[in-house]
Amino acid sequence: MACACPLILMYYRKGESSGKNVTLPAVFKYPIGPDIVNFVHTNLRKKNRQPYAVSEIAGHQTSAEAWGIGRAVARIPRVQSGGTHRSGQGAFGNMCHGGQMFAPTKTWCCWHRRVNTTQKRYAVCCALAASALPALVMSKCHRIEEVPELPLVVEDKVEGCKQTKEAKHPWNYFAQCKQIEHLKLAAPGGHVGRFCIWTKSAFRKLDELYGTWRKAASLKSNYNLPMHKMNNTDLSRILKSPEIQRALRAPRKKIHCRDLKKNPLKNLRIMLKLNLYTKIMRWNTILCQARNHKLQVDKAAAAAAALEAKSDEKGVAGKKPVIGKKGKKAAVSVKKQKKPLVGKKPAATKKPAPEKTPAEKKPTTEEKKPAA
Amino acid sequence: KKKVPARPETFKMQRNFTELKINGLRKKFAQKMLHKARTLIYEKAEHYHKEYRQMDRTEIRVARMARKAGNFYVPAKPKVMFLLQLLCLCQIFSGTFVKLNKASINMLRIAERYIAWGYPNLKSVNELIYQCGYGKISKKQIALTDNTLIARSLGKYGITCMEDLIHEIYTVGKCLKEANNFLWSFKLSFPQGGMKKKTIHFVESGDAGNREDQINRLITRMN
Repeated sequence: MACACPLILMYYRKGESSGKNVTLPAVFKYPIGPDIVNFVHTNLRKKNRQPYAVSEIAGHQTSAEAWGIGRAVARIPRVQSGGTHRSGQGAFGNMCHGGQMFAPTKTWCCWHRRVNTTQKRYAVCCALAASALPALVMSKCHRIEEVPELPLVVEDKVEGCKQTKEAKHPWNYFAQCKQIEHLKLAAPGGHVGRFCIWTKSAFRKLDELYGTWRKAASLKSNYNLPMHKMNNTDLSRILKSPEIQRALRAPRKKIHCRDLKKNPLKNLRIMLKLNLYTKIMRWNTILCQARNHKLQVDKAAAAAAALEAKSDEKGVAGKKPVIGKKGKKAAVSVKKQKKPLVGKKPAATKKPAPEKTPAEKKPTTEEKKPAA
Repeated sequence: KKKVPARPETFKMQRNFTELKINGLRKKFAQKMLHKARTLIYEKAEHYHKEYRQMDRTEIRVARMARKAGNFYVPAKPKVMFLLQLLCLCQIFSGTFVKLNKASINMLRIAERYIAWGYPNLKSVNELIYQCGYGKISKKQIALTDNTLIARSLGKYGITCMEDLIHEIYTVGKCLKEANNFLWSFKLSFPQGGMKKKTIHFVESGDAGNREDQINRLITRMN
C-alpha cells in the first residue's frame, strides 16, 4: 500500500512550494495490481486494430486435379496442362509451392476485445496510485530526482503555460482530468508508474471521479473504490504485535528425531531402561553360577580326594582318568534337569554351555520350595 | 512459555526468576513421578518373574504328580498363538499374536496354506517383543524404546511397561486385544537354516499350518 502523506504541497511552476496543501485523494491509495493493468492494456489496445487477411483466392488460381492412384506419385492435386514447369506440380496444399496457406486468415476474425468497465476503472486507478510512488515512477525510468514531491501538484495558474519547458518539468501529455480515464496516459505500454503532474483543480476532482472508501464516485454511476485485500501490509509488524503474540502458543523448537532402536536382549543398558528387574535377575544368575561352580569344584575336589584315598589303599595308578568321566556324567544328569527351566530365565545372558549346568542345579532346589 | 511484549527490565527479571522456580519445581515433580513409575515397573517385573516361575513349576509338579499316580496330565489348551505369514498381503515373514478361540481357529484353518502358527513360550514372547517390538502409536510404527511409549497408549488398561505387555500377552489377560492391537506386526527375517517346504503342511514335513510348540524354534531362527 502506498504510504503517501495525506497532505500534498502544491508548487509553482518554478519549483517553489506555494505553501498550500491539498488532501490526497483516495485513488492514490488504491491497491496496485500491475497484472490487471497489463490485461486491460493489452485488450484495450486491440480496439485500434484494422483487419488483415490474405486474399481469398490466393493459392486457388489453378485448375489442379489429383492424378489418383496407380501412377506412383503422391495424391496431391497437380496442375493440369503441359508445356511449362508448372504442369504436374502440386497445388492447393499448404505444403505445396504456390499453394494456399494453412488456415487462411479471414477478415471476420475477432479484432476487438471488450473489457469490463470496472476492470478498466480498476486499471486506471492502479496506474494513478502507482504514479504516486517514487519507486515505481523511477523504475519506469522517469528522472524525478529533482521533483520535490509525488504526486506533483501545481497551482492552477500553471495551466496557462503553453510549454512544459516553461515550468521546467518534463511533461508529455497535457490533458483534462476527465481524460485521465485513458489508460494510455497513466500507464503507457501497460506498465504502471508514469510521472504525472496535476493541477490543483484536477487533483481535487479526483475524489469526485473515483470516490473514496466512504462515498461512491459522484461523477460515475454506481462505482466504488474496491477494498484492499490487506489494509496493513507491514506483515512483520503485524506478526510482532502484542495482539497476535498473545494468542500464539510457545514455539516448538525441539526437533523430534527418530529414536534408534537397540536390541534390549543384547544391550544391557537399553534392557534396564525397559525393565529394571533384569539387573537383579542377571546378578542373581551370576551369583548362583559362581556358587554352583564353587560347589562343583569342591565336589570334584572332594571326589578326587576320596578316590585318591581309595587308590592309595588299593594301589591302582590308572584310576585318575575315570574321575573326568564321572564328573562328566554328573554334568549330563544335571543337564537333563535343566531343560524345563529354559523358559524361566527370559532375559538370560548367553553363557557357555558347560558352565550353565552347575548353575541350574542350585536354582532347582531353591525354586522347588516356593512351588511346593 | 509465551512471548511477553516489551516490559521494563525489572519486571522481566522478576518474571524470569519466578518462571525459573516454577520450571525447577516442575522438573523435580516430574522426576519424582518418574522415579515412582520406575519403582512400580520394577516391582511389577519382579512379580511377573515370580509368576512365570510359578506357572512353570506348577506345570512340572502337576505332571510329576500325575505320573506318580499313574495318571496323565493334560496341560491346559494354549490360549495364545503366534502366526507367521508365509505369503501374505502385508508382508512375508511377518508375525502377530492371536488369541485362540473357535472363531480364530476356523479362520486359521482357511488360511492354513499361507501361515505357520504355534504356541509361543515365554522366551519367544520376550524375544519378539524386546527385539522386534514396535508399537502402533498414532498410526505410526514406532520402536518400543521406552516404557513411556507403552504407558501412554496402554496406560488405561493397566499396561505401563514392557513387562506388563509381555505379561498380558503370555498369560492371556483381559486386555489382550488392546495389547495385541497396539503391537505392530513383527517383521522377522528368513529363518536361519532354511525352511523345509513352504507349500505343504508342517505335518507333511513342510512349513505351513499349526506346528504347536515347534513355533518357538522357528521364532528363534527368524529373530
